[in-house]
Amino acid sequence: MKAQVPKNPVFFVKTVNTLVADGDPIIYPKILYNNQDYNQVDHEVELAFIISQNCKNIQAEHGYEYVEGYTIFLDITARKMQISDRNINLPWYRSKNFDFFGPIGPRIVNFNEIEDPHNLNIQLKINGEIRQQSNTKHMIFKIPEILEYLSKFITLSPGDIVATGTPSGVGPIQPEDIIEASIEKIGTITHKVILEE
Amino acid sequence: MKIGNQTINPSKIICIGTNYMDHIEETGLDVPKEPVLFPKTLNCLISNNDPIIYPKFLYNQRKYNRVDYEVELAFIIKDRCKYVPKEDVYNHILGYTVFNDVTARKMQAKDIVSKLPWFRSKSFDTFGPIGPRIVDIDEIKDPHNLNINLKLNGEIKQLSNTKHLLFKIPELLEYISTILTLEPGDIIATGTPSGIGPMQPGDLIEATIEKIGTLVNNVVMEGE
Repeated sequence: MKAQVPKNPVFFVKTVNTLVADGDPIIYPKILYNNQDYNQVDHEVELAFIISQNCKNIQAEHGYEYVEGYTIFLDITARKMQISDRNINLPWYRSKNFDFFGPIGPRIVNFNEIEDPHNLNIQLKINGEIRQQSNTKHMIFKIPEILEYLSKFITLSPGDIVATGTPSGVGPIQPEDIIEASIEKIGTITHKVILEE
Repeated sequence: MKIGNQTINPSKIICIGTNYMDHIEETGLDVPKEPVLFPKTLNCLISNNDPIIYPKFLYNQRKYNRVDYEVELAFIIKDRCKYVPKEDVYNHILGYTVFNDVTARKMQAKDIVSKLPWFRSKSFDTFGPIGPRIVDIDEIKDPHNLNINLKLNGEIKQLSNTKHLLFKIPELLEYISTILTLEPGDIIATGTPSGIGPMQPGDLIEATIEKIGTLVNNVVMEGE
């Protein structure tokens, strides 16, 4: 997917129906699987941070004061649907928000325990084979800038999840695949993909 | 949150884009083949009589300084549901209310042209007035025959009827529930008719739907 380097962080929404815990299956929706126009569902491993308190209009230099900790997030995406929606200038919502499209975990590491969240190896394996491998130092917008920009728009609340974007290597998952997403100092989340019955 | 005398705890707000033929014509957008869904986050919700805060961030930038009203019929989900067939949808609806899908229009237009998501233009704090009450589903026999209007400082700007909805409530809920699970209290806003336009600090907005009532909010500059 070719996209331009953004001038500001680009935000989109996943609704809470997407969230699943470590070890839970990712259900591959039938309406995607059975439709040739939509039958690609991709993995995207991301570093996520959790908000600790209500905040609005915060400055980058105070960003970390509002971070509870870090975790791993999988931004599962119906890629063909997303591309087809983008091509006709539609919102990105539906391709990102099927149930089970937001695995998260395996734990929240307190922000005190990770001195530099922008120097963590991040990777994703499918069936044991590495598909995404990078380091959070390559993020264009770092956590303080993301938080400063995002909090200009909305009030963030305790427990809100901000996922920071995925490195290269995104690609399709298939029913029966085992997905392992890892970030250094946080751990690994493991999910089996199961076709919806 | 409290709407009239009822308390709901929504987990999400889903809005339908371009769902009145007259609005589709004024936007120049294509007639959608399927409902167009986008989210608003819960930080945008405010009650009847609360102020809509006009963000300085938008007001002070010529490329972004337009914030619009959009009156909409909204329905509230009654119970957890997925894959609801059309003929069964009214069993999963608690009732109806009025929603104002406040939108940073220049920002949205710019994001649409760049094929970016619609999130930021739609979800500033206070960009989702809702109320003044939830009318029980049994009290409105036909939700697709209700006059809907919006007044800006007493002058009618939007005037239509819910019979002009392109996708009606049964089709909307059937479609949305093929994608995701809905939870009690979730809010679905069905789209706005033509006549959308800008608001300014100091304006009084009255959004009315027949048999539901009037949602009143004034616009206040941030920090004042």
